[in-house]
Amino acid sequence: MKQRLAAAAVLGLSATLALTACGSSSKPSSSSGGSTSGAVAIKLVAADYGTGPANSSQTYWQHVADAFHQANPNITVQVQTIDWNDLSSKVQTMIQNKQYPDILEGLTYAQYVQDGIAYKASDVLDAAALSNINPIFAKAGEVNGTEYGIPWTTSSRAMFYNKKLFTRAGISSPPTTWDQLKADAKAVAQKTGKTGFGLPLGSEEAQAESLLWFLGNGGGLTDASGKYAINSAQNIATYQYLQGLAKSGATEPDPATKNRTDLWQQFAQGDIGMINGSPALIPIIQKAGVLQSSGYGVVAVPGKTGPLTSTVGVADYVVALDKGDHRAAVKSFLDFAYSDQNQLAFDNEYDLLPATTSATNSMSGNPQFAGFVKNLGTATLYPSSQADWSTVLTAIQKQIGTAITGDPRNVLDQIQQSATAGQ
Amino acid sequence: MSSLSNLPPRRLGRAAAPLGWLGPAIALIGFAVLWPVYEMFRISFQHYSPDGFLLGSAGFRNYTKLFQDPNFGPIMLRSLLWVGAVVGLTMLVSLGVAQLFNQRFPGRRVARWALIAPWAASVMMTAIIFRWMLDPNTGALNLLLRDLGLLSKLGTSQADWLGRPDAAFAWMIAVAVFVSVPFSTYTILAGLQTVPAEVYEAAEIDGASPSRTYLAVTLPLLRPAILVATLINVMNVFNSFPIIWEMTRGGPGYETNTSTVYMFNLKQNFIGQSASMSVVNFAVIVAMVLVFLRVSNWKKEVA
Amino acid sequence: MAATSAPAPAAARTAAAAAARTGRPRARRNPPRPRTMIIAAAAYVVALIFLLPYVEMALTALRPPRELLDAGYLPRHYAWSNFSSLWSTGIGSNLRVSLTVAGGATALVLLVATPAAYYTARRRFRGRTAFLLLVLVTQMFQPTALVVGIFGQFNQLGMIDDPTALILVNAGFNMAFAIWILNAYFGAIPRELEEAALVDGCTRLGAMFRVIIPLALPGIVTALIFTFIAAWNEFIVALTLTSTPANEPLTVGLNNFIGAYSVDWQHLFAGSVIATIPVIVLFALIERKVVSGLTAGSVK
Repeated sequence: MKQRLAAAAVLGLSATLALTACGSSSKPSSSSGGSTSGAVAIKLVAADYGTGPANSSQTYWQHVADAFHQANPNITVQVQTIDWNDLSSKVQTMIQNKQYPDILEGLTYAQYVQDGIAYKASDVLDAAALSNINPIFAKAGEVNGTEYGIPWTTSSRAMFYNKKLFTRAGISSPPTTWDQLKADAKAVAQKTGKTGFGLPLGSEEAQAESLLWFLGNGGGLTDASGKYAINSAQNIATYQYLQGLAKSGATEPDPATKNRTDLWQQFAQGDIGMINGSPALIPIIQKAGVLQSSGYGVVAVPGKTGPLTSTVGVADYVVALDKGDHRAAVKSFLDFAYSDQNQLAFDNEYDLLPATTSATNSMSGNPQFAGFVKNLGTATLYPSSQADWSTVLTAIQKQIGTAITGDPRNVLDQIQQSATAGQ
Repeated sequence: MSSLSNLPPRRLGRAAAPLGWLGPAIALIGFAVLWPVYEMFRISFQHYSPDGFLLGSAGFRNYTKLFQDPNFGPIMLRSLLWVGAVVGLTMLVSLGVAQLFNQRFPGRRVARWALIAPWAASVMMTAIIFRWMLDPNTGALNLLLRDLGLLSKLGTSQADWLGRPDAAFAWMIAVAVFVSVPFSTYTILAGLQTVPAEVYEAAEIDGASPSRTYLAVTLPLLRPAILVATLINVMNVFNSFPIIWEMTRGGPGYETNTSTVYMFNLKQNFIGQSASMSVVNFAVIVAMVLVFLRVSNWKKEVA
Repeated sequence: MAATSAPAPAAARTAAAAAARTGRPRARRNPPRPRTMIIAAAAYVVALIFLLPYVEMALTALRPPRELLDAGYLPRHYAWSNFSSLWSTGIGSNLRVSLTVAGGATALVLLVATPAAYYTARRRFRGRTAFLLLVLVTQMFQPTALVVGIFGQFNQLGMIDDPTALILVNAGFNMAFAIWILNAYFGAIPRELEEAALVDGCTRLGAMFRVIIPLALPGIVTALIFTFIAAWNEFIVALTLTSTPANEPLTVGLNNFIGAYSVDWQHLFAGSVIATIPVIVLFALIERKVVSGLTAGSVK
């Protein structure tokens, strides 16, 4: 009898355990808005552009959301920002979870169009605001002629060089062609013992570096008709040149495994002669405090026979996802968020460039950014409207660096193959 | 429950009694271990878009794609090399270290504590500190190699161990050995302490040399301890993720992926294929468990 | 790979008996002194090799940001402020999650493993062998291999980003070892003690609490510390199941110092030092038990 009582007690215990195990499954979904009382809550997930808690994008977006809520008391915007490193996997989790946000900023948008969950840009943004978007970037937000991805922030690339190292290496002016670049990088490496050219072809952002070099040889990621052309003759020749550049000792060792993060840091510390960068490199240089603003220069990226006339432009897109009944609230928030004031505040905070024409115009007076702003008008963008761009991107990031040590043709063929497998 | 309720109360109680004591444990195993196994199989037959949108059933396509993947063969072979090299080296080093730490010397307790550090610390953090120490420009290990004259210059490809796939893989094997040695050493130490002193005395009286005593007396007596440590290491090393993840992310390309790391890399774009990779890994583990059960004579253990 | 490596069931068997035998006099003569010196020197070198990476961790944690890329063994200045500024990075919530998860998993394991280990050590019943086989097999599994399934499961339960999920997974995968080691300790306690308690009118549960548990306390503490450390260091499940920084345990949270544009090495390592010291201390506490816990059984 006693024994059975004890058993019953333990059974009770296990029942409690089972309850704890499943009890929290009924956690209220944070993104569901209570539209019954007229109050709506929408959820925004954005990339975190900050370098720490002090300038986290959470602060920026919360500020925008609060101001918006004040003007529209019945709409609340819940903000969540996610580290760039984790953004795609965490958003993937949310989608798999069917708990995706109403508004997503930072990632590629085309796959959501294919999934059938993306709103057309014209559904969620005022016509006037829409026509204010920089046309080149707006075009890249289109799938089959309809705009879905709304550019939020942009940047363009240029080449940074360390003037002090150039002087020590006896170089009078920065290179404009590949031959000059190779000679100058070798001179820096030999005469100063530092790295001549920083070539980040590791998985972090190999697509940007590769595209910059492809453009210098008349290549690109796609051909004129918009189809992937990663293994074009120009691109293969480009990697053959890069192989020679790395072998000559002009770059850091093993570029295939080096990431932009580390190399930008080394440039800022004065340890690299030349590196391709965006305006976001400027605050890193300033924070390191080694190079004065007169200690480095920014010029157009050298191409095979002359500087690039069209450099790489990168946009991060906003895409609104259809969750049933939030379209009106999303539209009024996006109309609010795309004001010049919000655009400029964001780009000043993170040293990026605006996505709207009016904000871009008001920034072109800033000497630090003028060159980068000018490049936006002619920039070449990623083929982000392709539904499988995110998959191709991963293939490029993981594999393209190995074209430095392996046979460029094989590596580029392999990436091309995985890019066209889905088409 | 209905069939049980037909039993007389006394027999019901007896049949349910073990369940009362073991029920929570069985429930937890079912929830935390068996359910994920089921889920993993289920997902491996589903088709997901790269952004996580469920597109429907995939049949066996995730498996056929995985087996046709040009990376699959090399990665399975590399996993084999990884397990073999790490476990083999770990056991060799551990036998030596255990022999050393079994001797009596002043400060033995403190020295043994030092050995605990890699066991207690998170493997992820150990991997990151090794990555830091192998930095081609400033890493402490590279400074040391340079000061010892083994490295001609910092910042060169020679110093960039993690940039070259072969060197990176060798270093990661070294780190895996580093974190596996403490546990193995402690297991062997435990084994050494149970060797009766009389055995050594007998060997000494017979005039056996120390190396002969070790080979003929100590090693055979250590066999069970070595076996247990080896099997546990095989399992741990096969499942090892943080070392490769933190030191190279499996790069350059896929050249330092093991099947466990590749499973995680696949997850980024191909959730279904990632699940089928898990199923393959799971099959390997089940095979190892069966070997373990055979070798360990578990029935005698639980009797 | 380190802390999760649980000794085999075989190793855990008769641990209590072994514990009672520690300090058994050894009949070997003292070796000549020079030999001892050489052995000691070699052992210190080995010990140093195993410690140095963690010393480097602490040294890097103390480097001022400007000296991070200096090529020198020691920092020129020691920035203790790295530890105070660490708290402003939000690491406190990661620490709290780690404590919750490790503490919760340990408590759950204690609740679940103790009755199971006690019952299997004391009783012969139908299904005992099957149960012990189940435990033995789950001990061989690690969450790494099942992470895709674990994600699918908690996704369905709506428990992504919920520390409870991490508690359950860590408890589930560490319970087997606890059952084995406790089973060994319980089995080594003489039956007569317990029977005396039963005669005195205790229930079986009462006897367990009054007699068995106090006697098996060393084994319980060992099992708990093992569980705590394993849960504290767990990485891949936490990496997969969390999605907001505030809900991440330290192992995942520290990775956020590896940012988009720069790596915050000094804070990364300062956080690592804070995460590592408590587990080394805990482990040192049970060091002798580890040896005895692994003894005998594995060498039957």
